Amino acid sequence: MSDRVSKEDVLKELFNVGVGHAAATLSDIIDKKIVLNVPDLKVLDIEQGKNELDRFLNNVAEGAVMVSSITFDRQLEGKVSLIFPADKMHRFINLCLHEEHEQIGNMEFTDVDFDTVKEIGNIVLNAIIGELSNTINIPVEYSLPEVTVLNDASAELFVCGCESNFVLMLYITFDIEGTEIEGAIVINMTLKSLEDIVQTIDRMFNGR
Amino acid sequence: MKKILIVDDSKFSQKITSSLIKQYLDDAEFEFAGDGEEGLEKFKADHPDYIVVDLLMPKLRGGDLIEKIRQWDIDARIFVISADVQKRVRDVIEKMGVLSFINKPLDEEKAKKICNIIRNDAR
Repeated sequence: MSDRVSKEDVLKELFNVGVGHAAATLSDIIDKKIVLNVPDLKVLDIEQGKNELDRFLNNVAEGAVMVSSITFDRQLEGKVSLIFPADKMHRFINLCLHEEHEQIGNMEFTDVDFDTVKEIGNIVLNAIIGELSNTINIPVEYSLPEVTVLNDASAELFVCGCESNFVLMLYITFDIEGTEIEGAIVINMTLKSLEDIVQTIDRMFNGR
Repeated sequence: MKKILIVDDSKFSQKITSSLIKQYLDDAEFEFAGDGEEGLEKFKADHPDYIVVDLLMPKLRGGDLIEKIRQWDIDARIFVISADVQKRVRDVIEKMGVLSFINKPLDEEKAKKICNIIRNDAR
């Protein structure tokens, strides 16, 4: 891939396939039409990634987030996190469980809430990373998914400080029948993994 | 009555799987295990007719659980329901002789498929 613009374009297209799959999957669970928009994908070094993520955390989530994450290794190594503003999560969980009551702004979560978000995150993140793995034919192995609520989240918690790592940021908006939930997917992966992906794409599409 | 053991660390998925299968298979009764080790113990103790196994689980992963079940009962009837969409993972698991590998989330069509396999399963 000769320049960053085309690399990001191709990566965005690859992730769009996974996000499309994730949207269909979520729609099946909730039984409502879901639009997942991926307006932007950014490939950033660690410092840029931290700054970008901190902006998201401050502006959209005001620091309180619910995070579902999964680590992957084998030929590709990294961690992918699905980050939602915590104050929107009861609405989201109720939709998943097909329950009606609303608890707007309530930041208390039960074991059932955590279990639900963990499993939804698992399915969405598997769709995104798994589709990428299928397209470039590089296998990954997942760790157990984790879910947590952070009241004062900062980028340090999602982005490892290793200089050899890169951050892929995807901002996504879940539009569930008019309710918009702005989230982010943060993929923190080794430079070698990113290079492997880009080289494989290059071979596939440019015959290099 | 068909005894079905669902091994999945997510209670959310346990609930979806059992309720959807129940819609298409009246004579199903369910047992649940929250990880692979518990699943193996319940399989040995209760001799279910069918086992539904998730892959990514604590203590004992689904693939390892299937191997251990096979050592105990080579003819065990196993379904896999997993979020993992990787083709290579599907290939490996299908070679283990499972009845079907189905991607999460389970929906009505996929549940019907499981129930038809069970109905047509002449053991």
